[in-house]
Amino acid sequence: MRRLLIVRLTAGLVAFAALLALGIGGATPLKAQTMANTVPIEAWNAYRNSFVAENGRVVDTANGDISHSEGQGYGMLLAFLAGDRSSFERIWSFTRTELMIRDDGLAAWRWDPNATPHVTDVNAASDGDILIAYALARAGISWSSPAYTDAARKIARALGAKLVVKSGDRLVLLPGVQGFSAEERKDGPILNLSYWIFEAFPVFAQLAPETDWVRLGVSGLDLLTIARLGPAQLPPDWIAAPARGPVTVAEGFPPVFGYNSLRIFLYLLRAGIEDSQILESFRRSWLAENGGVPAIVDIPTGRVVNQLTEPGYRMLGALLACALDRTTIPRDLRRFEPTLYYPSTLFLLSWAVLVEKYPRCL
Amino acid sequence: MSLKRAALLLLLGGAVIPAIAQQIELPVGNAPAADRTPTADGTARPGIDESALRYFASQGDTRRLEAEIARLRALYPDWSPPADLFGPQSDPDLERMWKLYAEGKLSDVRSAIAARQATDPSWQPPAELLARLDESENRRRLINASDAQQWSTVLRMATETPGLLTCANVDILWRVGEAFAKTNQMQRSLDAYTYLLTNCNDPAERLATIQKALPLLDDEQVKQLLALERKDAQGQPEFTTIRDELIRRRVGRAAENPEFIVSNDDIARLETLARAGNTPDDPLLLGWYLFRHDEASRALDWFKLALDRQGGAKAAEGYVLALNSLGRALEAEPIAFQWRDAAPQNGKAYLDVVISLLTAAPPPVLSETVLTRFSPVVMHDKYVPGAQALGWYAYNTGQLVVAQAWFQTALSWDPNDEPSSYGLALTYWRLNDAARLNALVQSWRGRSERIVALVDANLRAQLEARNLQGQINRTTDPLVAAALRVTPPPANTGAPAAGLAYGAGQPQTTGFQPVPSQFQPIPAQATGQATGQPFQPVPVQTTQVAPMQTAQPAPVRRAYAQSAGYQPAAANRSRTTSGGGTQGGGGAAALSRGWRLMELNRPIEAVTAFDEAIRTGSGRIAEEAAYGKSLAYMRKGMTNQAQVAATEAPQSPRRAMQLTADLLAQRAYDFYRDQRYVEAIISLDERARISPEQQDLMMMRGWSYFNIRDYQSAERIFRALAAQGNTDAMNGVSEIEFARRLYKRE
Repeated sequence: MRRLLIVRLTAGLVAFAALLALGIGGATPLKAQTMANTVPIEAWNAYRNSFVAENGRVVDTANGDISHSEGQGYGMLLAFLAGDRSSFERIWSFTRTELMIRDDGLAAWRWDPNATPHVTDVNAASDGDILIAYALARAGISWSSPAYTDAARKIARALGAKLVVKSGDRLVLLPGVQGFSAEERKDGPILNLSYWIFEAFPVFAQLAPETDWVRLGVSGLDLLTIARLGPAQLPPDWIAAPARGPVTVAEGFPPVFGYNSLRIFLYLLRAGIEDSQILESFRRSWLAENGGVPAIVDIPTGRVVNQLTEPGYRMLGALLACALDRTTIPRDLRRFEPTLYYPSTLFLLSWAVLVEKYPRCL
Repeated sequence: MSLKRAALLLLLGGAVIPAIAQQIELPVGNAPAADRTPTADGTARPGIDESALRYFASQGDTRRLEAEIARLRALYPDWSPPADLFGPQSDPDLERMWKLYAEGKLSDVRSAIAARQATDPSWQPPAELLARLDESENRRRLINASDAQQWSTVLRMATETPGLLTCANVDILWRVGEAFAKTNQMQRSLDAYTYLLTNCNDPAERLATIQKALPLLDDEQVKQLLALERKDAQGQPEFTTIRDELIRRRVGRAAENPEFIVSNDDIARLETLARAGNTPDDPLLLGWYLFRHDEASRALDWFKLALDRQGGAKAAEGYVLALNSLGRALEAEPIAFQWRDAAPQNGKAYLDVVISLLTAAPPPVLSETVLTRFSPVVMHDKYVPGAQALGWYAYNTGQLVVAQAWFQTALSWDPNDEPSSYGLALTYWRLNDAARLNALVQSWRGRSERIVALVDANLRAQLEARNLQGQINRTTDPLVAAALRVTPPPANTGAPAAGLAYGAGQPQTTGFQPVPSQFQPIPAQATGQATGQPFQPVPVQTTQVAPMQTAQPAPVRRAYAQSAGYQPAAANRSRTTSGGGTQGGGGAAALSRGWRLMELNRPIEAVTAFDEAIRTGSGRIAEEAAYGKSLAYMRKGMTNQAQVAATEAPQSPRRAMQLTADLLAQRAYDFYRDQRYVEAIISLDERARISPEQQDLMMMRGWSYFNIRDYQSAERIFRALAAQGNTDAMNGVSEIEFARRLYKRE
């Protein structure tokens, strides 16, 4: 049994490394014509009307209408996937002017319309920076814009310099510049495995080769295998992953598999990683035990805290069923209606990966 | 509106863009004017983008039009506005972009440009539009970065967009100056402000420039900026108010750090300003400066003025501290108490004031209010120095049991507080509690010489020799001073010779201090109100009266420790009363419980029972209970409380007399034990007026005289008693002869 596990794990890592190598070695690593426009323009327009303000601010409607680097990054990525250069530029303009103000070249993560100054926490959040840089890199290539590529490179380099750090044998992605490292926390580093946006790493490997992005990805998959905690064997949103010692739920954070972790498999599928063991845990929790619906799960007890029935979350379940069991997407999920910012974002990203990789389910 | 006039005005305004870049040595991204060749006819040339100009003209936006003309003139000195400025626009799409730009909708312009390029890949936006967009975005980004204290980003934006650095953007110049200062590039920071004061003319902005620079630059640099002062329309120097501000700054800094001193001129000017004004700020500043420079008396007046001008907590703090340092802590205490919750410093000032009251020498007579409101604060904050100070106050006023309780309380919060341990050790010593003293000394061996010295004669001798060499550090900490003032007792309490050597040096021989008879709260009461944990044990555990009585090797002292004489009477009473008492029935039952507790030698619990009896009983029961309570306190050595208790119910004249005599005997013993021999004699004298003196008390009197070296009186008593066969008295006689020989030799 244990040997089987190791074999499966190794297979996963090899596959991922090969995937990365492909990205690095290829002459035209990302083909614009196949990658772009995987988000239907009407759906994107509906999203834009609901969540993108005129000044290019992506509004988190469930969180007091604040904005954050993650939302700006999602907005730019979706605009790119929808082929909407105009909106991409609009969102990037706001992002650059309002958030790209840190001395180290990373984005401030939190922007509050009701505060003065608007940036209420100047700390960085690595998933936001990854999304912004990744969207810029993709757009730079597809739309032949050296300015985008240049901006992407600067952020990727800053990410590598500030947030990709060694932790024992692992190379890990710190969630932010302040407050998470082993130096700052006794149980550190504190990590968030849903910040590993695997599809970005091959692109960054080209832009900022001084950082070992392949190894970062491998460490992420390794941690995903280890961090299946509690009876449900699911990864908590926030883990304590000291260089020596076991991975545990990070103290001071809710011990849940929650809104963060539920996008992990989406990122895996988008990066073309289909054989990670973690997908099994998702399958058991969502497909076997919750009737195809994602759920917030309490790690210590394995109990379901909350079933997520919004279309965006149900779409995640449907995508998982499609990827694992070739189940077709139910009829009611074939049209997009914006609800809240976060599930709507997940909906469109899921749709994009369906169009791109699993057209058979549509 | 004449365009020429507008251009001229703005040229006079000195908006010379490249100059600032050179001035502060920012790398200039593009040198705009150098590579342009002017054409003779002044018409539009390739490279000069006039689309903005045309847009503003078409909109009738003269303000922006003028600004744009000025900007272009500054960049291209030979350029003049085209004649067909108000002609029709050829590109409505571009016009819309300029419109959005003019409305500050930068993201919309970016979006519009991208949209057009998406449909028309060959289309390029005018370079001018892009430059203006970059400039505006960078301007916002610079401000955002500055607000978030991201100074490198501020400087990067300024470097990328030197066009921002003009008198039209003084706010940006200020932020750049600040960013240089915050990144320790002081010369460049100074350059930025210098540029501003050299080139920019708005009087309010010039004044604000100095104000912005003040907290960032040092005095010398500020002086350089002040040299750029101009005269206003009335011929007055424009920075007069700033000079006063500088004085405030100097005084303020010197008020923080006593090592800095300001000139008398500065003080005089500030005093003038302070009197002339009606705010508390300048008086406060003066108060703190003077206070920190050892002029508490002058400081006090300014703090008073600040307080009168609603200066609030800070003024109250200064006022209290100044009074305290003038030795007027008693006056300061009510104000300190009133303001104690206003700010942490006020709380500290209050504690300081009361501590200096408690640790003053000689101990002042403190009103009950002072003590009753201080102890809850100490208890609530678990404030070790406060408990320690209460300990010293109790100690210095002869309330040893109370002292013990407070020192123990202090140590329950901080077991490693050496001064409290020293106080406790001294208290044990004076209570003759050898067992506890030794245990305490053991725990401090190697950590505190003076504590160990209490039981180590050699170490004592060394310490005293050192003290004689004047090595006692004089210190302003009242607690340390209080501990230092206490003369350590002799190491060997048993030998009369040691008692002699010691008694001779006691301060009590020189001046008699009446024991303040006011109420001294003990911590047990305070916790009783609150949580009731740390020293509830204090009264229960402290059976030190008993060990002291037996452990005392010196006959003199043993003889007077006996307060046990009262006990049989109490016991008898308890039997008679409890016989007729009913269980749980009001005063009688409580009274009976009190006597029973006395039999069990649990006097403090007995006090509670007697209290209940006093409260609920009447007549004889209350009288009995008050008597019992008084005895209970006496057994604890708490004579003050005993005296108070005795008056809680009217006593029969005979018993009242007996009680008073007992109290005075107990008090005399306390004084004697505390080596306060003069007071002991006075108590004995008082007692002798109402009751004949037994032999044991006469012996105490004898040894008291002996200890204050009134050998004549001592000898008279000892010889009288010795004649009756009292062997202790015979010892006394020989001690006197020995002592006299010693003194003759000196």
